[in-house]
Amino acid sequence: MNKSASVVIIGGGISGCAIAYNLAKKGVKDVIIIEKEYLSSGATGRCGAGIRMQWGTEMNCRLAKYSVEFFETANEVLEYAGDVEFKQGGYLIIAATEKEVAQFQKNIKLQNSLGIPSRYITPQEAKEIVPHMDETQILGAAFNPKDGHLNPFHTTQAYADAAVRLGVEIMKYTEVTGIKVENGKIAGVQTDKGYISTPVVVNAAGGHAQIISEMVGVKLPLYSERHQILVTEAVEPMQGPMFMSFSQNIYCQQTPHGSFIMGRGDPTEPRDLRVTSSWEFLEEMAKTCIRFLPPLKDIRMVRQWAGLYNMSPDAQPIYGPVKDVEGFFLACGYSGHGFMFGPVTGVVVSESILGEEHTIPVDALSYDRFEKGELILEPSVV
Amino acid sequence: MLKSTGIPNEKDLESVIPPKERLAKGPVAIIECFEKIPCNPCYTHCARGAIKEFEDINDRPQLNYDICNGCSICVSHCPGLAIFIVDETYSDTEALVKIPYELLPLPVEGSFVTGMDRGGKPICRAKVVKVQNPKFQDKTPIISLAVPKELSMVVRFLSLEDYYSDSTIICRCEEVTLGEVRELIRKGYKTVEEIKRISRCGMGPCQGRTCQQLIMEEIAKATGERIEDIKVHNYRPPILPIKLGRINGGEKNE
Amino acid sequence: MIKTDIVVIGGGPAGICAAINAASSGAKVLLLDRDSQLGGQLIKQTHMFFGSQKQHASVRGIDIPGILVKEMEEYKDNIQIMLDATVLGIYEDGVLTIEKNDDYIKIKPKGIIVATGASEKFPAFPNNDLPGIYGAGAVQTLMNVYGVSPGKSVFMVGAGNIGLIVSYQLVQAGVEVKGVICRGPRYGGYAVHASKLKRIGVPIMPGHRVIHAHGKDKLERITLIKLDENKKEISGTEFDIETDVLCISTGLTPLGELLWQMGCEMKFIREFSGHVPVRNEELETTVPGVFVAGDVAGIEEASSAMVEGRLAGLCCAKKLGFTNPEYSSLKEDYLQQLHDLRSGPVGDGIRKGLAKIVV
Repeated sequence: MNKSASVVIIGGGISGCAIAYNLAKKGVKDVIIIEKEYLSSGATGRCGAGIRMQWGTEMNCRLAKYSVEFFETANEVLEYAGDVEFKQGGYLIIAATEKEVAQFQKNIKLQNSLGIPSRYITPQEAKEIVPHMDETQILGAAFNPKDGHLNPFHTTQAYADAAVRLGVEIMKYTEVTGIKVENGKIAGVQTDKGYISTPVVVNAAGGHAQIISEMVGVKLPLYSERHQILVTEAVEPMQGPMFMSFSQNIYCQQTPHGSFIMGRGDPTEPRDLRVTSSWEFLEEMAKTCIRFLPPLKDIRMVRQWAGLYNMSPDAQPIYGPVKDVEGFFLACGYSGHGFMFGPVTGVVVSESILGEEHTIPVDALSYDRFEKGELILEPSVV
Repeated sequence: MLKSTGIPNEKDLESVIPPKERLAKGPVAIIECFEKIPCNPCYTHCARGAIKEFEDINDRPQLNYDICNGCSICVSHCPGLAIFIVDETYSDTEALVKIPYELLPLPVEGSFVTGMDRGGKPICRAKVVKVQNPKFQDKTPIISLAVPKELSMVVRFLSLEDYYSDSTIICRCEEVTLGEVRELIRKGYKTVEEIKRISRCGMGPCQGRTCQQLIMEEIAKATGERIEDIKVHNYRPPILPIKLGRINGGEKNE
Repeated sequence: MIKTDIVVIGGGPAGICAAINAASSGAKVLLLDRDSQLGGQLIKQTHMFFGSQKQHASVRGIDIPGILVKEMEEYKDNIQIMLDATVLGIYEDGVLTIEKNDDYIKIKPKGIIVATGASEKFPAFPNNDLPGIYGAGAVQTLMNVYGVSPGKSVFMVGAGNIGLIVSYQLVQAGVEVKGVICRGPRYGGYAVHASKLKRIGVPIMPGHRVIHAHGKDKLERITLIKLDENKKEISGTEFDIETDVLCISTGLTPLGELLWQMGCEMKFIREFSGHVPVRNEELETTVPGVFVAGDVAGIEEASSAMVEGRLAGLCCAKKLGFTNPEYSSLKEDYLQQLHDLRSGPVGDGIRKGLAKIVV
C-alpha cells in the first residue's frame, strides 16, 4: 500500500507525537507518524517521566521552563479526555558533596534570573519537605516547588489524540526499513507496510535514532545506553517532591497513583540496544534508596524494566536539519531528558521544518555544533 | 467422556447439532440427550411430530430438523432439562439461545447476565431477551439469551451475576474495570501491552496474573483474533513483590 | 380388630397405585402409612419425572401424589386410608399390629401388599455422627417439605440419581454445593442430571471417598481421599474441604423387615442393593397372599414402582376373588410397561437382578 505525505515522522514517542501535533496545528496536511510498535513503546514509556527546571545551562533552563508551563495546561490545550497526571511536587536535589553545594548555588542564581523559583535549603528544611529522608546524609539541597512528574503514556496519548483530530495519521506496528534520498533530497520512506513518498522525514526514533540516520548516510555521534527503573506497590501519599542526587546517582519519586518510581545510571550498562533487566541494578538501587529514604525498605517493589538513553557527546538534544540531506530533520540525542523536553521539541522542530523563527533559540543545539566543536556542557545530569 | 465428566464431548454434540443450512433458516431444538434412559416426554409433547416416534422408551430422541420449528414446548417438558432452542437468525451478530432455568430469582427481561458453558464456566455477556414462565411450563421457565453467534453452541446456562458488565473489576490490583478496557479496545488499543500501559491494568502487585487472560479474551472478542494469536505482555521481574529492604545491597545483607 | 380384604403397607407411589388397583378390582382396601400424608418420598421430589405419560413423565414428583389421590377418590367406597400408622409386626395368624398416634390397633386382612420402600445406606467413617451430616432424604425433607435450608454449604457424597438430583435441588434452594463425589470412576446417575449440575458450576468428582469428618460441636470440614480405578485408596492423596453440611447419598437398601417376619423367602441381590423377596411375575411372594411392590422389591425408579403397585393391586385382588373385568389386558399392559422401563442400558442391573429373584 503506497501513499504520500508532506511529513513523515519516525517514532511514536512524546517527541514524534508533539512534532506531529504542532505541524498539524500550523496547518500542515498529511503528516504521518510511523511507529514500530505502539505509542510510548520505546524510551517515552520507559522513562521516569519527571520534569525539572533546575538545570545548569541557560538553554536547558529555558527549554524546561517552556515545557513545565505547557504541561500545566496540557489537559486543556490538548483537549485530552483523560488526564496527563501532572503533579508539581517539586524536585529536591540533594547536595552530598561540597562541590555540589557550590554548583547548586551557582545554578540557582542562573535559574532565579530566568524566573525559575528554585532555592537552596538546609538539611533540616529538606527534612521538612521529605520527612522520611535521612537528612544527616546531606549537606544541603536545591528545591524547586514547580518541578514535577507526569504519566508518560497519557501525556503522549494526549498529543497523539490531538494530532489525530487535526488529521495526522499514526501507523502503529509499522517498521521503517529504508529512506530514499534522491539528489541529496528526501524522497520517501520504505516501511514493511509499504512505501510513503515524502519530502520531509523527522528522525524522532529515540534509542534507535542513529540507526535511522544511517539509512540516509548520516552518522550521528550518538549511542544508546540502557537505564533501569523499578516501581513499587502503591502506598499512601508520603513524598511530595522528586528526591534526586547527581553524585549519589538516584532519583526517586512517588506518583499520584501512590507507587514509587526510582532509577539510577551506571556507566557499565550495555550500549547494544538491550532493554533487559539486571539484578545488580535492583540491589544497588535498593541500597541507595534505603540509605537516603530509610522507611522505603518496607515497601515492596513490583516490577523493574529498562529503557534507552540516546546519548549525545554533550548530553544535549540535537534539533533541526541536516545539511547534507535536504528534508531530513533530527529530534534525538536527548541523553535521558527527551520526555520532559517533549513540548518544546514539538514546537522548535516544527518551526525548523516550516522555516519559522524559533520560539526559543535552539540553534546551539543543531547538528553542526559537533562539526564546529561548539559543545554545551550541562553539569547537572544523572 | 460424558459419563465421567457430565459434559458431552464434540463427537456427542456433532450428532445433535443441525447442519449450517438448517441453522441459517431459523430456530431449531438442540436435544442434548446422549444416554438411553427410559424417558419419552419430548416425543409425546412434540405437537408437530418432529421427534421420531420411540419404538422403545429407552430410545434417544431423533429430531427431524426440517419439521422442528423451534417452538420450545419440549424444552420445559424434558425432565433432564437437556433441550435447548438455538436461533442463529436472531441478528447479524447474535444468536438466540433458549435455556430451561429452574433457579430463583428469575432474570429480568432486558438485563444482562453471563452466558455459561456446559461446564459452568462464564463465557460471555448475554442479554435476557425473554423470560417465559406460563403455567403449562410447570415451573420450568425458559430464558431466551442473545449471545454472540459463534457461541450459540457453547452457551447452555446463565448466571445472574453479570461477570462481563462494564463495571466489573478486571484488574483487582489497579481497580481497572472491564468497561475501561473495552473502551480502550474500541479506541484501537489491540494488545495487552498497550492496554496495560495506558490503563495500569496488570501493573499492580500481581503483575497481570489474573487480568491478562481476561484482557486477551476481550481483545479476541472485539477483533475476532484467536486468543492464541494475541501477544502476551512483557513478563518482568520480580514474579512476586519483594521489599526493597530485602534486596538492599544484595544477598550478604541478610 | 379391623377386618378387610387387603392391607397395603406404605402410601408411596407403589402403595397408592396398589390400593387404587385393588379397589378398582372390587376389593376393600386399607392403605397404611406412617407419615401424616400420602406420597412417600414423592412429596420431596421437586424435579420432573422420567418415564412415559402412563407413569406421569415430566410431571414433578411433588405433584404426582395429588394426581394419584384424585384417582383414588373414584374408589373411595372401597378404600380406607389410615395415616400416622406404623405397622409394628405381622404375626403367624396374619394379624398386623399397628401404632397410630397413641392407639394400638390390630388388623386382619385376607391379602397384604408390602410397599414399604427403602432406607438409606450410610457409610462408616470417623465422626460420621457429627451434627451437619445428613442423609439425602433428610436434606430433601428439610428443604422441600419444611422449607428449611440445611446449611450454607453442602458437600455431597454419592453421585447416583439421588445424589445428583438433591445437589441440583440444593442449588435451587440457594445452597452452595461444593462438590459431588462417588467412589467409582464414573458418576452413577443419568447423564442429563450430571450435565445439569456441571453447567450450574457444581464439580463432580468421581473416584473419591470421605475418610474423616472434623468439627467440634458440628461439622466443619471433611477429609477426602482419591481412589484408583478399583476404588482402592491412593495413599497421600488426602485433602480437606470445608463444609457445614455433608449429605450422604450412597444408595438405598430395601426395607423388608415385615417380609422377613412373615417368613417370605428372601435373597440378597446385589443389583437391588439388599435382601428382596423371591416372587413371581405377579409380585406374589413365597407366602401366599403376600405381594410386594416398589423399592422393597428392589431399588428402582418411582415410575416402575407405580406400575408394580398397579400390578400387585390387580393380582392380589384377583387372588382373593376380585377379578377386574379388564384383568388380562391390564396385566399385560403393566408387564409391558415394566419391560419397557427396564429394557434399556440403565435397566441392565435390574434385569439381572430380576432374573435371580422372579420364579
